[in-house]
Formats: sequence, C-alpha cells, structure tokens
Amino acid sequence: MAIQSTNAAYLEELEKKSIAIIREANAQFENPAALWSTGKDSTATIWLCKKAFFGKIPFPVIHIDTGCKFPEIYDFRDKLANEWNLNLLVAKNEEAMNKGVSPHKDRFECCTLLKTQALKDLLEKKKFDALILAIRRDEHGIRAKERYYSPRDDNFKWNYEDQPAEMWDLYIKPSEDFSHMRIHPILHWTELNVWQYVQKEKLPVNPLYFANNGKRYRSLGCQPCTVPIPSYAKTIDEIVQELETSKIPERAGRAQDKEKAYMMQKLRSLGYM
Amino acid sequence: MSLSKVNLVIIGHKDHGKSTLIGRLLYDSNAIPEQKLQEVEAELKKAGDEGFRFAFLLDTFEEERRGGLTIDIMQTPFHTQKHLYTIIDCPGHREFIKKMFTGASQADAAVLVVSAKEGIQDQTKQHAFLIRTLGIQQLVVAVNKMDDSNYQEAKFKQICQDLQPILRSLGYTNPPVVPLSALNGENVFKQSRKMPWYKGSSFVETVDEKVTPILPSVDKPLRACVQDVYEIEGKRIVVCKILSGILKEGKIVNLDPSGEKGLVKKIQMFGKDIEKAGPGDSVGLIVNNLEKVRRGEVISYPENRAKVARSFVAEIILFSDIDVRNNDTLIVRHATSENKCRVEKILEKIDPVNLTVAAEFPQVLERGGVGKLLFQSVEPICIEAYSEFPELGRLVVEGRKGPVAAGIVLQIGKEKGDQTW
Repeated sequence: MAIQSTNAAYLEELEKKSIAIIREANAQFENPAALWSTGKDSTATIWLCKKAFFGKIPFPVIHIDTGCKFPEIYDFRDKLANEWNLNLLVAKNEEAMNKGVSPHKDRFECCTLLKTQALKDLLEKKKFDALILAIRRDEHGIRAKERYYSPRDDNFKWNYEDQPAEMWDLYIKPSEDFSHMRIHPILHWTELNVWQYVQKEKLPVNPLYFANNGKRYRSLGCQPCTVPIPSYAKTIDEIVQELETSKIPERAGRAQDKEKAYMMQKLRSLGYM
Repeated sequence: MSLSKVNLVIIGHKDHGKSTLIGRLLYDSNAIPEQKLQEVEAELKKAGDEGFRFAFLLDTFEEERRGGLTIDIMQTPFHTQKHLYTIIDCPGHREFIKKMFTGASQADAAVLVVSAKEGIQDQTKQHAFLIRTLGIQQLVVAVNKMDDSNYQEAKFKQICQDLQPILRSLGYTNPPVVPLSALNGENVFKQSRKMPWYKGSSFVETVDEKVTPILPSVDKPLRACVQDVYEIEGKRIVVCKILSGILKEGKIVNLDPSGEKGLVKKIQMFGKDIEKAGPGDSVGLIVNNLEKVRRGEVISYPENRAKVARSFVAEIILFSDIDVRNNDTLIVRHATSENKCRVEKILEKIDPVNLTVAAEFPQVLERGGVGKLLFQSVEPICIEAYSEFPELGRLVVEGRKGPVAAGIVLQIGKEKGDQTW
C-alpha cells in the first residue's frame, strides 16, 4: 500500500469538511445525537463535534452497551465523558441480555438484538431525528456506498438500492417523514487518517489498541467477537508507522464480517451501523 | 510526501467497461488488500466463474454481482507518483441518473469510457453532456476494449473522429484520447506493445499529466455563507463557511439578502482566534451590529458585494421523481439557503443525447429531462452565476425524500421587477 500524504495541511482539509457537515446537521435537525463506541473513529468524531461547537457538544452522546464489551472500554468511556463534559446516554437491551442472547448461539441475532434493537429502543424513547456516526468508506465495501446524509425509515431500514442523490456540499433534510438521518462526517477519512489525526491532536485512545504480548486490537468490537492481530506497536506513532506499511485490512479480526458473505450488508440494511 | 488529491468520475455507456477499468487501476496499483482479492476469488469459484473479473471488486452488493450491473457509486482511492486519486464509479443506466450525479458532483475531472467495438452510443453523449452541465471542465477519453478490435489503429481513429465534434460542441476542445484494454491491462499503466502505432502516453500517464486538482478560489472576491448562529458564554458567534476569497479580521462585511453590515471583530476556531480564513474554512465570527443574521445569509465585502436577485435562469436536470410545469413552486437549495421559487417559464427543453434544443417554451419538462428554466424567487435571494462563483451558482431542488433535480445558474436578474428576460 503506497504511503498516503501525512502532512498536517491534508488532515486540516479532512477536518474542515467534517466540521462543516456536523454544523449543517445540527442546524437542520431538531434533535440530533452522536454515537460513541469509544473506539478511535468515534472518539475522533466526538472530538470533531467538540471543535464544531467551540467546546461543549449541545446534544447527547450515546454509548451502546452490549454487556460484552472489554472492561477497558467502560473505564475509558467514563473517564473521557467526564473530562470532555459529555452528555452521555447509555443504551442497553437488558431484556435480551437477561434472556441469554449471546454470540455463541447466533452472532447475527446477538448483533441485531443487543446493538440494533438497543439503539432502536432509545431512539423510540428520545425521538432523535439525526444520528452522527463515525463510519468510513474504506472500512468495508458496503460502507463505501454510503452518503454523508443517509436516511433511515421507521423500520431502521437502509434502502441502499434507491438512495437519495447527494449533490456537491448540499446536504438535504427530506420533507417527508423519516425515522432519522444518519450523518457520517468522517466518511472520506481512511483508517490511517484517523490515526494520524489522533496523533496530531493528541487524542486519548483505548489502551486495547496498543500491543500487549505481541498482539493488539486493530478494531474494537465486543470481547467475544474481536480477535487481536500480531503487532508490536505500543504507541500511536508506532501504529501510524505499522499502518503505513500494512496490507491486512482493518476489520480482519472481526468475526461478523467473515462469517457470512453478505452479513455486513444484511446487518446494515436492518439498521446496524 | 504530500500528494495532491484529484477526484475522478468514470462515465460512459453501459458495458463499455467502466468498472473493469477501475478494477484494473486499483489492482495494478496495489490498492487492493490481499485478503479482499482472495475473498473475491473464492466467491467467483463458488459461482463457477472462470477467470478473474476486476469489476467484481467494486460490485459488493449481492444483486450487482448476480445482475452484472453497478447499482451505486463507490469512492475508491489509488495512487500514482503524482496524485492521490479518488475514483467514483458511475452506473451507466438511465434509471440511475441521480446516483451518477452524486458521484459526478464530487469530481475534478471525468474519464469518458468508449468501447472501440461498439463506438459512440446514447449514454456516451448523454453522460458527456451531463457532466458538462454539472460544470466539470477536465475530460480524458479512454477508448476501451481494443482487444476486441484486434488493437487496430483504424478503429481507434474512427472513434476519435466521431467524438471530436461532439465533445467540441460541449466545450471540450481536444481532450486527450487514449486507446486501451482494461481487461488485459494494455496501455493502462504502461505503453502497450500491442499498439505500436500509438505514440502517446499510457492512460495513467495521461491522466497524471493532464488532470489537475481544482484549486480553491483564493483570489476571487469574498463569498461566505452563514451555517448557523451560536450563543456561547454570552457571545453570539456567526458560524459560516468561506466559499471564495479571504475573510480578514478587522474588515467590514455586508450580509445579504438582509442588507446588514458589520465589523468582523474576531475569527474563531476551537481554541484559537485567527487573522484570516480562506475557501473551505468553517469558522465562527464575532461581528458587531448584526440583528437579523441567520442561516442562509451571504457574507461579502462592500467593494465586491454579493448580488441580490429575484429571478434567475438555470440549466436543470430532473431526476426520476418529478415533472416540472410552468408556475410550479419548487424549493431551491443553494449554499446554505433554502428558497421558494416559482417556475416563471420553461425556456428550453434540451435533448441530452443529440445535444440540441428539443423544444422552445414547452409547458412541461418531464422527469429525466434537461432544460433551461426561468425562476422567480418569492423572497429576494443571494445567488450568483455558476461561471463566476460555482459554490453559489449550483443548486438542487428539494423533494420529499431528497433532491429531485440539480442544476447550475446561467444568469441572474435584478431584484425588483426585472422585465428584460
């Protein structure tokens, strides 16, 4: 993989576009919120939101808790929520968790109930009309088809066959009823860009990303379904260097992507991220 | 190393090989991770497919793979020594015009793929016309499937001859034309031994050489659009995006169409005050003397003040959702401004395939059609001709689910009762 441009000016260009999109979304929608997994992409996105609003994000930040998250994620979440003065909301599908839904039985059902359903329930309750998410085009073939503004209907379905057009930098709020709009401010960033931005802005990251005993997590899902990769990168600088020369895709350790050929597509069309 | 970014949109008639060309560009430049290649190979083996088809790399949707179509666009990057290219693959079927526009609206340049075997078809002409209408000025032509024509010079020359007048009439004078075979990788990255008669550069060399990124309009007069107004710690911050020119602290600015005027006391980004902001910057302003400032206003300097108009002529492309009739009221969005505009008169209906005026003053412009429309805005608006300020001269018509039409402004009228149309 050839080296991408790494200079600060390039990252500033990426940042400007993202901030403008976040401000547009806030201006156009009555009741926005942002999703935060505590991973590097959503942490960078929350930071961009902080910048967009000159320090205090005027809407809630949602963490979807499946109960299977690494303990390090909870520590990191609470500490940073406090430091950045976030209005943190935790979404949890307690009913499904109590019923014993688990990835060991059926991974697809587990993702759908513990993630997607938890989010649906919270949206139902709070009536958010826009959700800011940290997905990027280069993460996965399916996500590459996304737009900056992507509407979801009442069933949370993503109608990928008939997406609205998105022209230039004109992001439109539909006049017809829709459940909520997904806003994707870092769609045009690559994995490497996110790490370079983390490096530049000196953002806090979850220690799971750093190597421990020759392994580190390149992508953070829930504990049972995330596999670390071989690596000795112990700092952000080392991660940036490792990525500039790596050929293994980022989500190589994520079981749901491998399992069924189009599981990702099916999950997305049902309202998963 | 810092590469400049160029967005390329690949257009052309159905099955002329757009996706195959993109696949070849990504594959030969090593832009595709190993695991992805193995995945696709495994899928193809399962489907009983012989040979490796590059287009499959891009068609990640089940339906697309089964049907052989490209349903939506995807932005996929690759590098050369000179540029970081983001390639936007465009579907080549009539029904997918709005998806094509979404992709094309992000492009700096277009690559028109024409099959040497089939020659110029309807969508070849239609796509060239549509990207011209979207204001794209850089074009490279790829004459593909030379393998099917035995790499014959005569075939290539014929296509060149047929194309030049069409492209010239669109304003593309002497665009580079390159013969190639995307399937076999001939003349894509390196000159091909199969075409010794061709003395030009390979396709990638040609693009590297001839295509430049669109530079921000730093030297133009100031235009900025207000996104929002925030109240933070007792201060009112006008959040705006600079569209052209440079905004400087300490200067007096006009806001239109409200007509207000104020002094820019501070230009702020999170954590710092800055002295000036340029095109693409999203900043917060502290400006005195403003009462009515709100989203949609346009900021400019008095010496080259933004124009306020009540009417304008625009070239519009309708997507598949609506027909437009005289006297229809549409919601037009440009920059951060949303305005009710009445269709005063449909001036022309244009045939996008034959590139001629199909009708003058028709009563209706049907869905999928292209036309010149005279609009009358209900309220005064701040709008510019696309040729002068592209960022303020491009617009969409808002519909129930999203944009239903897109276009560019050709001319603007005066604010009050303009009778000169």
